[in-house]
Amino acid sequence: MKMFDHHIHMTSRTTTDYQNMADAGIVAIIEPAFWLGQPRTHVGSFEDYFLSLVGWERFRARQFGIHHFCTIGLNPKETNNPDVADGVMELLPIYLEKESCVGVGEIGFDDQTPEETRLFEAQMQLAVDFDLPVLIHTPHRDKKAGTIRTIDLVKASGIEPGRVLIDHNNEETLAATLDSGCWAGHSIYPHTKMDEGRMAALVQQYGTERITINSAADWGVSDPLKVPKTVTAMREAGISEGDIKTVVWDNPVAFFGQSGRLDLGDDGGRPSIDQSQLWEGNSVLRGQEAVIEPAE
Amino acid sequence: MSNPFADIVWARIDGPAKSWLDRAWPSAEEAQTSVRFRASFAGVTRRLRGVEVTGDDIASLTDAGVIGAADWRIDRVARVALLSQVLVAVSFEEHAAFVRQVYLRGDYKEQAAVLASLSFLPGPERYLDLAIDACRTNVLDVFEGIACDNAYPAAHFPEANFNQMVLKAIFMEVSVGRVAGLAQRATAELSRMATDFGDERRAAGRSVPDDVALIVGLDAA
Ligand SMILES: [Zn+2]
Repeated sequence: MKMFDHHIHMTSRTTTDYQNMADAGIVAIIEPAFWLGQPRTHVGSFEDYFLSLVGWERFRARQFGIHHFCTIGLNPKETNNPDVADGVMELLPIYLEKESCVGVGEIGFDDQTPEETRLFEAQMQLAVDFDLPVLIHTPHRDKKAGTIRTIDLVKASGIEPGRVLIDHNNEETLAATLDSGCWAGHSIYPHTKMDEGRMAALVQQYGTERITINSAADWGVSDPLKVPKTVTAMREAGISEGDIKTVVWDNPVAFFGQSGRLDLGDDGGRPSIDQSQLWEGNSVLRGQEAVIEPAE
Repeated sequence: MSNPFADIVWARIDGPAKSWLDRAWPSAEEAQTSVRFRASFAGVTRRLRGVEVTGDDIASLTDAGVIGAADWRIDRVARVALLSQVLVAVSFEEHAAFVRQVYLRGDYKEQAAVLASLSFLPGPERYLDLAIDACRTNVLDVFEGIACDNAYPAAHFPEANFNQMVLKAIFMEVSVGRVAGLAQRATAELSRMATDFGDERRAAGRSVPDDVALIVGLDAA
């Protein structure tokens, strides 16, 4: 089955991850701009990060037959850093114009501070100005209240809720997110957030409309194969192939397709792989035989 | 002053694409900020999506000196047009710094477009450092932007840099047949480098790309 992991931070992952993801059926991914675990001290560090999201990481993914897109935004944590926040906001209009940027994100609340609110609102306005969908992170702490505040802020922004995906939902937040008209993402994560079995139960309870899943894999304890693993759990729970496909492919394609920039090729399949595009010591291919496959 | 790239773009667009370009088009009098220009330069692909270049346009591009014009799409033509236009209001001394920023902050299609434009900008010899640096890229699209169907390297590169670029093309399995001016720039030194590379591959039990023989043959011819 073709799968789309619409939230994964590949900059922190290895080529082995890319290979395993491709083997498991992942054909397209979105890498939201996020926080790197360690605070950045210069606006320029953000710019180089955005450049890697629209350049090098995209190239790396393609070598494993995976379409790579990104969302661009200032993450909630670093909106609280006055050394960088406003400088990064000034850069966003350039990077929101990039061809492979399919949304604003991930933005939202972390500690739910006034600065977070101010720049969350400002970035919702950028989404309206650039006619882009939005990927919203919801907080780990005080999650339910933070999600409700998020929904209120979305409503006040005037953006159409169908162009907003609220991510990292759980049993406590899903009903409110769906009621708001927004899309509901679920990050399947070891130990926290959501697991495969609970996710299958949610699909059985709520159906598939506006529901998506992702791995949110990053530099922490996380698993880039959580989307295929959840597909297995959904199958074992007796969910139909059609419903599974809706959750792991059709829904993310429909949501991010609203950007008008989700170019998956003519047949929406795997991009052609040509690892011979790599070379010598700089290559991600170090001495193995290159794989050359035509597009499916 | 008429510019063949701009003429093609303006002739092909209407509707929202035209109103966008009306707003984005750099004034000849007042220099656009680098930030504003970089946003327009990035937005070209999606803002002009669906606009096609015609057979006549390909002929005009070829007349203007474009090599491999049949492969040019509207985004490439428009980016060369925009870059030429924005420089009109930038002081001549600052051209290289301006173009370098656009290049460094571009995605790989933007970078390839900057590289393709270098021969068509005023005082192209000033972009030598940028062009040589571009050969260090790891991204195929960018490397092809400088090495393939581009008159710039043969016209401006010192011998050592030209030879390195050709050798890297073989490593990347980019056909050296697409390196413009290769026959004119072929030297005994390039032939020696290609021969050594072939020997190294044979010693490692690996196949030798056909382009090695092609380069060695150029020197003999
Ligand atoms: Zn994330």
